[in-house]
Amino acid sequence: MELHDLPSDTAQWLTAVRRQLRFYLKTWRFVGLLLFVAVVDIAVTALNIAYNSAGSSAGDYLYNAIGAMPTFGVIVGAFIGGDALAMDFGSGTGYFMLVLPVRRIVLLLGRYAAAFLAAFALILVYYAISLSGAVWFYGFLGVPWGDVVESIGIAALFALAVLAAAFLFSSFFRSPAISIVVTILALFLAFDIVDGILSITTVEPWFSILYAGQAIALVFEGQPHETIVRVTAARGLTIRSWTPYVWEGVAIMVGYLVVCLVLSAIIYQRKESKG
Amino acid sequence: MSAASIEVLGLTKNYSRGRSALVDASFRYEGTGAIGYLGPNGAGKTTTLKLLTGLLRPTRGTARINGISVVKDRKAALADVGAIIESPEPYPSQTVAEAIDMVGEFRGGRPADIAREIGELNAKLDLPPLTARCGQLSKGQRQRVSIAASLIRDPRVIILDEPTSGLDPKERILIRNLLIELKKDRLILMSSHLMQEVTEICDQVIFINQGQVILKDSVENVARRFQTRAVDVEFDTPIHIDRIRALGGAVREVTVVAERRFRITFDGSTAARVEILRGLVGLGPVLSYQSASLVLEDAYLALMQGDDARAVTA
Repeated sequence: MELHDLPSDTAQWLTAVRRQLRFYLKTWRFVGLLLFVAVVDIAVTALNIAYNSAGSSAGDYLYNAIGAMPTFGVIVGAFIGGDALAMDFGSGTGYFMLVLPVRRIVLLLGRYAAAFLAAFALILVYYAISLSGAVWFYGFLGVPWGDVVESIGIAALFALAVLAAAFLFSSFFRSPAISIVVTILALFLAFDIVDGILSITTVEPWFSILYAGQAIALVFEGQPHETIVRVTAARGLTIRSWTPYVWEGVAIMVGYLVVCLVLSAIIYQRKESKG
Repeated sequence: MSAASIEVLGLTKNYSRGRSALVDASFRYEGTGAIGYLGPNGAGKTTTLKLLTGLLRPTRGTARINGISVVKDRKAALADVGAIIESPEPYPSQTVAEAIDMVGEFRGGRPADIAREIGELNAKLDLPPLTARCGQLSKGQRQRVSIAASLIRDPRVIILDEPTSGLDPKERILIRNLLIELKKDRLILMSSHLMQEVTEICDQVIFINQGQVILKDSVENVARRFQTRAVDVEFDTPIHIDRIRALGGAVREVTVVAERRFRITFDGSTAARVEILRGLVGLGPVLSYQSASLVLEDAYLALMQGDDARAVTA
């Protein structure tokens, strides 16, 4: 009998990525999300083609087509990453995985990378369908490919930020189902409500991931940073809608990524398997 | 290479609201063999095993495996450990082979070696079909898969939390025989409620109650210490249990073991033992009169009831 040398953390991370990705790709939720993306985006593209809604340019068309990406990205991120850590404390999976000679940070980063790859695959499907509409209207050479690449890059960063937030929520809970629901409520509804409330104040929603997500589409068509509408019917109520600068959106996403990932790592590292 | 070891030193675990799950537990075992960890529900058995595998962090004290602190370097401490705590569940979408293979890969096995080991474990543990999804397995099948996963790559230290829980009698025998084989060159620490199982598998026992280790000794010594507390008597002809109870005196309790066979508990003294035998002979022809075999059960009951003055922490 010999003492086995364990693989390095990097090698174990690669194992975790591969195994977790395989796990994600086999789940019904991934298949469901894939169908959701494909059906919705194909329907929207088909309607655009049917009603000849080409927009004023390829950039304008893509701005509208990709505009739903933040909402879609939050749904995908919440469903894929929402239970990534909670599963270790709400089911017997943790008793299978956490007694292995693998650092928890390695497991976390492996799952994070796998969740990103799964989410990014769905994002690419979304882009592929949306781009097919742009190519239909403006031809291959009419598509601003440089902006497309930039937009996909920001969408990837957005997915990383949303997943980091989902991992953070997931590290709080022991029930995978509750973790997914709370992640969706927090990222999707709560920020939407807060954004709505802030629109009647002068505060820019720089802390909202949905606000930052607008940068994904804004690369195709610039928008004013602040739009002010005075509603005279409501006794001169002033409503402001904010649009981030692209760099600002990117900075917010990076902030989310770093803060949420570090916090989730600390919590996951310290969390105990009680009960 | 140094001998395999499990060491717990002053290990204490307090949960919120000041509830202590484990209080200043200490023990050390080295080499090979099997140690039974016994105690009632909530005694602190699983807490100890969780502390040993890094699933919980101690409030005070140290847990070391093969000389390496689990708190300071969990990865290194668990490098040569196979563990089953509570009811492990592989990913539901993984097949049996994938689940075991994944553990082997995390432990650094080469694909060809892992495949060979899975074949060997399949033969030993009668695993469910290797292509079956873990999410579709019964509890017993899942437990056997988890046991196989814990044994992949031949760890020298095996930590098992009620390993035969949820298994049917055939599966229990399978696991029991495997553990008896494994303990020849590995160090096994296993918690269990099944005294018979511990008697058959283990060489050493630790009794724990209310978070405190109350006795640790070899099974042999415990047996010697507690063996006179119950005797089994077998009559040649049927005898009604009430006639034995009516003997009174030293007889504390009488239970039926089998037809014409009874277990009598008493205070353990030689005088009482002789007195009871005299009474029994008067009831009918006695075929056999011997110490009850389930000594650990007697020891367990005595220790948990706290009525045994001989219980000492070795």
